[in-house]
Amino acid sequence: MRQMTTNESHEALKRLLDRTLHGVPLRRAPMTLESRVFGELARRASLPWWRRSFAHWPLLARTAFLLICCVLVTLAFLGGATAVAGVRSLSWAREIEALMASAGTLAALLARTAPPAWAYEAIAVCAVLYVVLFGLGAAVYRTLYLQPLNDR
Amino acid sequence: MRAYQDMVFSTAARLAGNDGQAEDIAQEVFLRAYEHFAQLRSSPTAGGWLKTVTTNLTLNYLGRYRKRWRLFSELGPADADEDSSAPEPGALPDMLLADLEAEQRRVLIDAALRRLPEHQRLALVLYHFEELSYEEIGIKLHASLAKVKTDIRRARAALLPILESCAR
Repeated sequence: MRQMTTNESHEALKRLLDRTLHGVPLRRAPMTLESRVFGELARRASLPWWRRSFAHWPLLARTAFLLICCVLVTLAFLGGATAVAGVRSLSWAREIEALMASAGTLAALLARTAPPAWAYEAIAVCAVLYVVLFGLGAAVYRTLYLQPLNDR
Repeated sequence: MRAYQDMVFSTAARLAGNDGQAEDIAQEVFLRAYEHFAQLRSSPTAGGWLKTVTTNLTLNYLGRYRKRWRLFSELGPADADEDSSAPEPGALPDMLLADLEAEQRRVLIDAALRRLPEHQRLALVLYHFEELSYEEIGIKLHASLAKVKTDIRRARAALLPILESCAR
């Protein structure tokens, strides 16, 4: 019975708003709108072709651009392997590689020797910090942004 | 452009609830229309095309700023018991603001719409002004059917006391 009454109330409210909102006149657009549109069109028309979107470039320029891109991509694929071999031959690259390997060994050693409880505690601390920061963010957003917006 | 600028601006302003944003959106709509001028100049559906583009651009414009906050904004007391928004049966008048001039009515209704939370205003305007179905609104707002219906019901319930107080 209560459900029926609620639905009837919502239907009645819907019909009331239909009647009230029906035929509400349009707002007049600002006087500045037309001049803004024509000003922007003029500004875009005065741009040189290379500053317009790609679709508006001359056909020759578009073709040349695509060709250059294809050449660069091919060079990148062909030269990739050579570049990697070249970098590996450098002394500083070998040092970085050795450093990374040492860091990996250290991490593996820690994982073997540290008690498992440490890992669980670290995960718990991270989870708590995440929840606290999420809650703070939500509270700050609702207080400083959403509330003034709803009060307008 | 003159034939459609009021329609485009009104649609954007009611959805966005902000005149500055509405003017930016209307400008973008006409710039896009200019790109399709050849097809639109003799098309009988130019008005519909402009209205659809205005609606979509406004929703995109609002979505850009809304997406990251959607999770936060839908948390909490805003999602309280739906039945509490139902008005008392039999207590409704035949029409609100009936004794006012159309333009005065328009000013009061637009001001009342601006006081609604964004997710409620969007759903209400799309339903009552743009005459979209619940399903179409759900698709446009990327929301479930249940959420769309709840938002529209709450928006109506929130709009009623605002308009009633204006009528007094």
